[in-house]
Amino acid sequence: MKINVEYLKRFVACDLEDKALKELLAGIGLETAETLASDGETVLDIETTPNRPDWLSHYGIAREIAAKDHRLRFTPMDVSGASLDAPSTGFAIHVEDAADCRRYSGCIVRGLTVRESPPDVQKLLVSLGFRPINDIVDASNLVMMTCGQPLHIFDLDRLQGGEVRVRRARRGESLRLLDERDVALDERHLLIADARRPLALAGIMGGLDSGIGPGTRHIFIESACFDPVVIRLGAHALGLKTDASYRFERGMDAEATLPALKMALLFLARSQGRRLAPAFFQDAYPRPQERPVIHLDKDFPARLTGMELPAAASAAILGRLGFALRDEGGHWAVTPPSHRVDAQCREDLVEEIARIHGYEHLPGEMPLAANPVLRVDGGRVAVQRLQCQLADAGFNEVINYVFQSPEENLMADPQGEPLTLKNPLGRDFSVMKNSLLPGLLKNTAANANQGIERVALFEIGNVFGQEGKRVLESRRLAISACGLQQKKDWRLAAQAFDFAWFKSQLALLGRRLRLELAFRQGRHPAFSPSCCFAVEVDRRGCGWAGEVAAELRRFAKLDADAPVFAAEFDLAALIAAAPESRFLPWNRFPAARRDFTFLVAKSVRFEALRAAIERLRPEALESYELTDVFQGQAVPADKVSLSMGFTYRAQERTLTGDEVNAAHRGFIERLAAELGLIQR
Amino acid sequence: MTDELKKEIEGARRSFLHDLEHVQSPEQLAALRERFLSRRKGQVSLFLARLRECPPAEKPVAGQEINRFKEFVEEALAGAEAARISASAPWSDPSLPASELPVGRLHLIADIQRRIEDIFQQLGYEIATGPEVERDEYNFTLLNFPEHHPARDEQDTFFLEGHDDLLLRTHTSPMQVRYMLAHPPPLKIVSPGKAFRKDDPDATHSPCFHQVEGLLVDRGIHFSHLKGTLEAFCRSFYGPDVVLRFRPGYFPFTEPSAEVDISCFLCAGKNSDCRVCKGTGWLEILGSGMVHPQVLRNCRIDPEEYSGFAFGMGIERVAMVKYGVPDLRLLYDNDLRLLGQFG
Repeated sequence: MKINVEYLKRFVACDLEDKALKELLAGIGLETAETLASDGETVLDIETTPNRPDWLSHYGIAREIAAKDHRLRFTPMDVSGASLDAPSTGFAIHVEDAADCRRYSGCIVRGLTVRESPPDVQKLLVSLGFRPINDIVDASNLVMMTCGQPLHIFDLDRLQGGEVRVRRARRGESLRLLDERDVALDERHLLIADARRPLALAGIMGGLDSGIGPGTRHIFIESACFDPVVIRLGAHALGLKTDASYRFERGMDAEATLPALKMALLFLARSQGRRLAPAFFQDAYPRPQERPVIHLDKDFPARLTGMELPAAASAAILGRLGFALRDEGGHWAVTPPSHRVDAQCREDLVEEIARIHGYEHLPGEMPLAANPVLRVDGGRVAVQRLQCQLADAGFNEVINYVFQSPEENLMADPQGEPLTLKNPLGRDFSVMKNSLLPGLLKNTAANANQGIERVALFEIGNVFGQEGKRVLESRRLAISACGLQQKKDWRLAAQAFDFAWFKSQLALLGRRLRLELAFRQGRHPAFSPSCCFAVEVDRRGCGWAGEVAAELRRFAKLDADAPVFAAEFDLAALIAAAPESRFLPWNRFPAARRDFTFLVAKSVRFEALRAAIERLRPEALESYELTDVFQGQAVPADKVSLSMGFTYRAQERTLTGDEVNAAHRGFIERLAAELGLIQR
Repeated sequence: MTDELKKEIEGARRSFLHDLEHVQSPEQLAALRERFLSRRKGQVSLFLARLRECPPAEKPVAGQEINRFKEFVEEALAGAEAARISASAPWSDPSLPASELPVGRLHLIADIQRRIEDIFQQLGYEIATGPEVERDEYNFTLLNFPEHHPARDEQDTFFLEGHDDLLLRTHTSPMQVRYMLAHPPPLKIVSPGKAFRKDDPDATHSPCFHQVEGLLVDRGIHFSHLKGTLEAFCRSFYGPDVVLRFRPGYFPFTEPSAEVDISCFLCAGKNSDCRVCKGTGWLEILGSGMVHPQVLRNCRIDPEEYSGFAFGMGIERVAMVKYGVPDLRLLYDNDLRLLGQFG
């Protein structure tokens, strides 16, 4: 909202310098976004809020200044020199639905000669961002900028049938607007029409045909109050936003229409150089604007703010803001002034009192309120542990947008139904992510292409999908690694990431939550078929891990030919599976270990060996581990040599050497027979 | 006198070096140390005793000479001792550089968010999180944004295909509604998370950003409690000397409302060229207010009995203000050269 400081001071005689004025305004909620100079005058571009349509004029700002500084008075323009004393015959105003238009005041002025506005008016309008057009159009703009009321002025000769009608448009009607756009209309649009056709979009923009031209001689001036929602929906439907619609959709003061008409008459009288008497006047105002009566306990302002606010001070502030107070003992019955359409409840009044009194008087005090039960989110603690674990292992956290391109969604889950944005920023951001992996891969590519040798990343974020009408949203943890595990230096060799390292990190992550992660071979579009695992806890799937599929790598424009290893977990599943800690007594009997080195066909995966061990394990077998993998001259080309250690222990006693040998020998024989192992 | 002493010291130095060269055993080395550094009869002590005879004007120079000789002998002996020891062990040089092991970090936003959460948790707030795809009702209507109100324009919203009642939450405030509907007062929560507005990315806008929302509802809560709470938070987070400034503001779900500035933690308003506050002395960091009675009613809480306050802050804004990140887009580029600087 542009305010010309010199013009403003006509309505409130304050002698503040610009800087002090801006500070005063900021203190009551009016921040200056920009200070402009226009032809030697200061113009403040003031930020206003949607609840205060009354601020959208010089009157509005002047009123606030006078309320803040009790020495000042708001002095509106004297419009008593203009008269609306005119017949209401020979022309007619019809409002079809009072719900659409609360008030419609209009008058006819005859015998004008269109001319330029006086230079000071032109200068003022330019300073406020308007282009002066002619004295009639300029008068309507000046009225709006002075008191806030938007006017519309029609060329009377273009109106047919001797009437204006405020009505909804009918489907199929159209109108050429002042900006020369043709718009197709329907029932959503409120019109000003004459007896035959639409003239203007009510409260939004006039029509080209009935506008003021150089030859205009007689005019019809409209000063109305339209319903905010009707104007808003109508303007939105056409993608229009005008000075008038901006004001009407915020709610205008129905009591302001007549003073605005008079002001317009005075402005015109000045440019026309004669007193103007309207030839017609009608005021369609079926139901006067309702004003709430708000009960305000006298101690409530102090109670709600914690400020020291004596009743007299509160009453004085409300009075200066134009609120009418009736003292009813312990409380006041407060009626807001008609331009304060925002004031609806007692808290609104308290804000007014506190705001004018000054927020700087607000003391700071710690509340004693406490949660009866302080719930601690265990999941949050678990997530923090995972974050720290990953950071300690050298993974960097990233945060990406939640939306991506439809192609990226296909990369991770071609079957799932994507959740699509109705109004995305662009195609690349048009669907809600179903996986964090494409984003992570793009981050990997961006960093690798900068020449960074080690790109290990993770992200925690939500993914989305839908099943019928149900929207799915769940939290994921995705991890990736590409490049060098370790930078080469005088001591350490450069070593590239491999899946064994990556898997170890995942296993470690699992152990951080006391989870034993199992990796079962599977198929997933984001991972290469030769290295793709469903990650399970207690046979329940909680994620995927593997080497990223070539297609996804290409898609992410990963230039380097190093493989990328990645995993994605359902965080809720991971956290839900994490067990509570509980004391377990440990076995105090000695353990016995037996080693076994054997050849196995390369076609047998370790996973199969493990499954067989699990199936055949003797009762006394406590644990086992792989200790060596060897391929060399002594090993046939189609085989690999594995060494394993087996630990035996009984719950209740010490096992004898013979017992261990017997159990181990029988177990190894069955295992060897089943998988064709050859002892070395 | 000094010249004489200098000459003698020079002689002692030559004699020391000669003997050191001919040392054969640790015992001989120890004897050499004894000869020169013994406190009572060592050569250095003898020189120092001579200082007493010096004229006062020459004392400082002579003292310096003797000290220099003492240091020379000590260093030479230490080197010879070390060389004897290492000659018998495998070579190692503990002063070689350390290997540069990889270190990972939390994203700056996650790190800030966690620190904000931690402060409020210590003040007894519960951390409550909600969904990013939210119901229009919770995001707007129940927060007292009427359906066709211009206040909605200030939060340009992403909508979802096929779900007219859903949207991407434009702030973390809907969590207030969810929590109030689920729990009777007293209640005290902070709710961190992502929020979304249809803004093209630029230096100060992002379609995806992070907020931390706070809410406290109990009997007898007033506006000063909000200020006290935010003061406690800001002094913990920004520094013990920051001062808060409340300015009138507007949010549909609070009444009265306030924008909150903190005094510049870098220059405290004393530097007109300050890079943090741009010379204004103040930093806008929070929106806040008393929970609007209509919001309480919408959440089945009686505003005659209870009152509360709410506040919200943008984490990206904190990253820019407190850590000097110059462009919001950098926070979403995920460039390791930035990520490595924080967390």
